[in-house]
Amino acid sequence: MSKIVVPGEVVSDQPQRMAYTFSDGHKTYATALSLLSDDGHLVPLEGPYEPLVEDIVVGYVTDIRFTGYNVELGEPFSGFLSSRDSRATFRLGSMVQARVINVDEVKSIDLADARPLEGGWLERISPVKVPRLIGKRNSMINTIAQMTGCQVIVGRNGYVFVSFGGNHALAVEAIRMVEAQAHTTGLTDRVAALLREKGGKAMPKAPAAPVHSSGGQGDEAADSDYSPRSARAPQNPNQPQV
Amino acid sequence: MEVQEELKHSQLLSMLASGKREDGRDMLTYRSISLQRNPLQNAEGSAVCHLGRTQVLAGVKIDLATPFPDRPEEGVLSTGAEFSPLGSHLFEPGPPRVEAIELARVVDRGIRSANMIDLSSLKVEGVTKVKAVYVDLWIMDHDGNLFDAAMLAAVAALANTRMPKMEGEKLVRGEYEGNLPISCLPVSCTFGMAGNTYLLDPTLDEEKGLDGRFTLATTPDFVCAAQKTGWKGVTQKDIMEFVDISFKKGAELRRLIQQ
Amino acid sequence: MMTGASKSKPPLLREDGKRLDGRAFDELRPLSIEARVLNDAAGSALVIWGKNKILAGVFGPRECIPRHDESPYRAVIRCRYNMAPFCSLEEHGRSGPSRRSQELSKVISEAFENVVIAESYPKSAIDVFIDVLQSDGGTRCAAVTAAAVALADAGIPMKDMVSAVAVGKVEGHLALDLSKEEDNWGDSDNPVAFASRNGEVLLYQMDGQLTREELDQAMTMGMAASKKVHAIQTAALRRVYERGGEVSVPLYLTPGEIRQ
Repeated sequence: MSKIVVPGEVVSDQPQRMAYTFSDGHKTYATALSLLSDDGHLVPLEGPYEPLVEDIVVGYVTDIRFTGYNVELGEPFSGFLSSRDSRATFRLGSMVQARVINVDEVKSIDLADARPLEGGWLERISPVKVPRLIGKRNSMINTIAQMTGCQVIVGRNGYVFVSFGGNHALAVEAIRMVEAQAHTTGLTDRVAALLREKGGKAMPKAPAAPVHSSGGQGDEAADSDYSPRSARAPQNPNQPQV
Repeated sequence: MEVQEELKHSQLLSMLASGKREDGRDMLTYRSISLQRNPLQNAEGSAVCHLGRTQVLAGVKIDLATPFPDRPEEGVLSTGAEFSPLGSHLFEPGPPRVEAIELARVVDRGIRSANMIDLSSLKVEGVTKVKAVYVDLWIMDHDGNLFDAAMLAAVAALANTRMPKMEGEKLVRGEYEGNLPISCLPVSCTFGMAGNTYLLDPTLDEEKGLDGRFTLATTPDFVCAAQKTGWKGVTQKDIMEFVDISFKKGAELRRLIQQ
Repeated sequence: MMTGASKSKPPLLREDGKRLDGRAFDELRPLSIEARVLNDAAGSALVIWGKNKILAGVFGPRECIPRHDESPYRAVIRCRYNMAPFCSLEEHGRSGPSRRSQELSKVISEAFENVVIAESYPKSAIDVFIDVLQSDGGTRCAAVTAAAVALADAGIPMKDMVSAVAVGKVEGHLALDLSKEEDNWGDSDNPVAFASRNGEVLLYQMDGQLTREELDQAMTMGMAASKKVHAIQTAALRRVYERGGEVSVPLYLTPGEIRQ
């Protein structure tokens, strides 16, 4: 069992260093609405994107400059893609997938390894739900892609590219379902049931979701234990120690 | 923002070319609509319209006011709209934007031209004051087609407005005598235009990609207000199609208010 | 605020010694809180407290406009308290910020500067918009309570929740959570917001007259009551994940009622 904790609620009677918590030297308290499991694992239920080097992100080009491109990554973040770090060229509004190569202390983001995304639409989900959408070893995202015939590319920042080829509306519905029910167990099965019920069928030759699993993108934990990013998120250097 | 609109435009066109909308609707189908009647107690009338993810609150206050000099025998109807900044990441605090003014004026025209409220009935006998009906549209959640949602909320609120009791020349707050008399229920239908096709009840995502919109308010018998927005030109044939659809859909919307 | 016939002070206690609405002196009005009621806002809450109906929506962290407001060290927290022109039983109100609403916006913003971990988002803004859709005395406490739930719902990192309640003095008795009449005609009004973890006072305003002992006792009463408010805030946030599905503003709820 796990329980929902609110900011300021005790998550441990010991001082601990954990993402999404702070300590007053005696106890440890949650800083965000989170799911606390019996083994003391804390997973945020809501919250903004926390950019980290090696994140794979999705966005679109909002400005073209002499030296490169500004890429919108969801407020308040915008990434810069240097022309030197990109072989492809992009137009205004081009949707792109890219890798974060640097994040500075004011959260300016540098991107590289960009590739264009074409023939689809960007959906936006809560960034803390991204690991759930990817699933254990890409299981969730592969299920959605295969049963709708859509290409689905998930950015760590919460933008999700869904191609028009295939059953686009069904893919979006499934993504919304994952976002709404990310805190529940047995979700992969329920999503598969939804996809089957609404006419989705396994298409072996469907474009596999080219999710980069580098950097532990997927939810590697068991379905019942939704515990992705906190495992690797370093302590926020700015987090106050009260 | 402009880049996003360009992006949406091309996405919308390629989607419409496949004959589908992002949420799987037909071109001429509304999202689900529900109305809450009189959820507020201090306002004399109120209603919330939920149109898909769009949520608009209308509040009606009845006051005493000085009539307009050229219409001393008539009551006053005044419609305002607030794009509350909690309603959308696109809204900012501050004086009303031109879009809010436009929305208020379109809804006002629909109500006024339909003669929904008989303003001459708002004259208070024996004094120089008249009753004033203030309709305020509060955009709580913006996911497109604010015109139709606001019209539904305003008309539903007016149809459920109580009149404060009069004692001499004053209104007694919290005590009521009857309802605001209304004669009909104007409703509006908004069409989004993109390329050479059109669709009813656009979402915000669709609106970002549209070339223009066309709103028609109708009573069972008349077209009573219209507004064309955006740069896209329309033909007479387009307009007549919009009119035919608006009368048909208008009857369905009116039934929702009457329920 | 008072218009109409009753310009002189009405009695504030019933013959049986209870308050006009039948409450005991240490009793809150019925309170309902629903979290996540708006679709576009990152976090939101509706607070129905007595006849108050208060809606809060949070956006951000997002780009700080105008730029000269931004800080290279932390996010700026901007709360805006605003009254709808139809919120009062009295005449139609003016829209736009009043002197009163600007003052309240300032002190509410400062209360949340204490708990929000703003250092995580330099050069950005966290906006908290609070609309008073129906007013009934105690709107600022309901506003703070709604804003805290909306911030938590948005996942904004915070060291604590904030829970507010007013303590006043009515006909010589200290009384919790003043009604509109008690606020208008009572001897003192003390809206207080507490950080629920460590009990620090994050917002405090006061008018009227209290002795040193009365003020001390009022704080103790307020602190105890704020724990009840906190429990209702927490329950509202937990319910979001039980109900799932539809997001809408249940303005129709009667105070104390929970959306089914």
